[in-house]
Amino acid sequence: MKSFLIARKDVQIMLKDKKAFLMMILMPIVLTAILGTALKGMMGESKMPETIVGIYTVESSVLVDTVIESLSEEDLAITMKQAESDKQLQEWIARKDVHVGVRVPKNWGNDATRNRATVVPISGQESAATIIQQLFEAFAQSANIIASSTEKVMEQAIAVSMQGNPVQMDAMQTELGETMQAVIVEQQDYVTEKSIGDETVSAMQYYAAAMGAMFLLFNAMHGGKTFHRERQTETMARVLMTPSSPWSFLAGKFMGTFFFAFLQFTVFLIATHFLLQVNWGSNSLQVFFIVFFYCIAVAGLSMIVAAFTTDEKMADVVGSLGVQVLALLGGSMLPLTLFPAALRKIAMLTPNSWALDSFTSIMSGTDWSALWMPATVLLGIGILSILLSMVKFRRQVL
Amino acid sequence: MLTLIDVKKHFGSKDVIKGVSLQIERGESFGLLGPNGAGKSTLIAMICGLISYDAGSIQIDGKPVSKHMHATKKIIGVVPQDIALYPTMSAIDNLVFWGKMYGLKTKMVKTRAREVLEVVGLTERAKDRIETFSGGMKRRINIGAALMHKPELLIMDEPTVGIDPQSRNHILETVKKLNEQGMTVIYTSHYMEEVDYLCKRIAIMDNGKLIASGTKKDLSNRLAGGTVLKLLIEKIEPEFIEKLKVLKGIETVIVQTSNEIHVHMETEMELVSEIILLASQLDVKIRNMHLEEANLETLFLQLTGRTLRE
Repeated sequence: MKSFLIARKDVQIMLKDKKAFLMMILMPIVLTAILGTALKGMMGESKMPETIVGIYTVESSVLVDTVIESLSEEDLAITMKQAESDKQLQEWIARKDVHVGVRVPKNWGNDATRNRATVVPISGQESAATIIQQLFEAFAQSANIIASSTEKVMEQAIAVSMQGNPVQMDAMQTELGETMQAVIVEQQDYVTEKSIGDETVSAMQYYAAAMGAMFLLFNAMHGGKTFHRERQTETMARVLMTPSSPWSFLAGKFMGTFFFAFLQFTVFLIATHFLLQVNWGSNSLQVFFIVFFYCIAVAGLSMIVAAFTTDEKMADVVGSLGVQVLALLGGSMLPLTLFPAALRKIAMLTPNSWALDSFTSIMSGTDWSALWMPATVLLGIGILSILLSMVKFRRQVL
Repeated sequence: MLTLIDVKKHFGSKDVIKGVSLQIERGESFGLLGPNGAGKSTLIAMICGLISYDAGSIQIDGKPVSKHMHATKKIIGVVPQDIALYPTMSAIDNLVFWGKMYGLKTKMVKTRAREVLEVVGLTERAKDRIETFSGGMKRRINIGAALMHKPELLIMDEPTVGIDPQSRNHILETVKKLNEQGMTVIYTSHYMEEVDYLCKRIAIMDNGKLIASGTKKDLSNRLAGGTVLKLLIEKIEPEFIEKLKVLKGIETVIVQTSNEIHVHMETEMELVSEIILLASQLDVKIRNMHLEEANLETLFLQLTGRTLRE
């Protein structure tokens, strides 16, 4: 009961502290907005910029039709615009109606030296032109491979038919062509990118989770500082002169940090959801489940800061440095995927990396079974911190 | 009400309380005088159960504090030397918090907080943050927090340090009224005049020991001389000091500074003439001289060779 009074008082004081409000509530929202917007595209959620390709084919062919059809697929973000004449294509290029113009000559693909397609970029779209050129070359090369393979097979078939076995040449040629064509088209499916759940996590989502995890860590520093402030201003001594035990004071300080951290994250979650349209996943219960255990870890760390520092200033310095190191190692500043393997292993020692990983998993639609492990680790960090600080506190005169 | 029997405490190798014994009766106003570092705050911390004692016994109403900690804490109200309040919280919120810490029920704690605000004269500032208060106002709320649970024993550890005379008077009047209403008060200070005004019995503490205790009259009787002659001389000659000490009627001679000596003596004018004559014989030039009635401060000086505010 006394512990709840102390915890309530701590939360009340924090809520009245404008500096703390700016630091703990406003800063993570602002940083999420900045980082989420600035690093959009890093997380693979953005599409290629739309490229409009104007194409004029001197003579229609199966190969050209296949190229146009393949490049028009939605995933490639290419719009193929067919010109009626060479003149029309030139006009489109002149008016910058298209980003890249392609003129496909007669018998393109049959003779690489004589019948080359011409790719013309408009100013500023040179890289798009290069990509289009490479795509056309790849198709032409594939066509050549098909053609030569077909030719070889046909030669073998003719040899067989010469020995008296009748072969349906036309049917065979068509079937071979179609099969090879299908193989080329299917190439795009050999490699695929997949997230943990069904949904892809955007940069805004990632940085919301990262900033939330990072700024909750500041409670560890703040909790340690308030402990020293109470000791310095004699309010702790005064509490201990009331009918309360030293342990209920410590429990109160722990719970104060826990409750404020929980409240801070709830406000952050609501703010990022409504202001920045961050999708925290389809299951809010999963988010709060992890937040609960993460807050235990953070409150435990606040006891460590209180126990192993000598005064408020030291708690401030140690806490600030600790938060920054944990934030960096735990992926709150840069995604862990960019880290070398050794650092990723070290990151597993940081509570924020477990929290962040869990949040992003929840965002991508993970199930409950994936959350038990991080929850256990976070609880373990919290319990270990409490035990260590208790050992230290027992040796001190509270 | 409160009994201390040969209480001792050491921190490391240093003995901070060296066997203190005293008895304080219910409804009494008891003054504990002593300079900084005398051990007053340590003694208070032990009475309140904040720190343990190494030897001896502290009893409240015959019950050892160490064995009845919870019950003891409920009847004691402590006003710490520092302003032990939460500066960003309002006066009333602070009082409510401390009231609840002493177990007051939610229903009555606000009513009690308003009563206390009236006692300390800060009703109109109830909702203001402590950080906006003057030093004197903070001290008054600091006292108020200790009164929330209507303690039987109020222990005040230098409650008037660094405040304006108006607030000091208000605090002294408040304490006097509380004592008149039956509250037992232990008042520690190094301001002799405050203790003199509030307390009937006084103990003087120095270096972890009680060096004198009793009623004001008892202590006055213990004063070595009724008068103190304060001499300001050009240069102190050891021979002059030695010869002063053997003059008839002189109790003690204390060298205050390199050119100031205090002479405690029983009689006045005859001795003064003798001192002037002695100075002239030894070629000691007296620049100024001043006669004073002896008081508690003089007694402290006489007992320890130091002033209370050193």
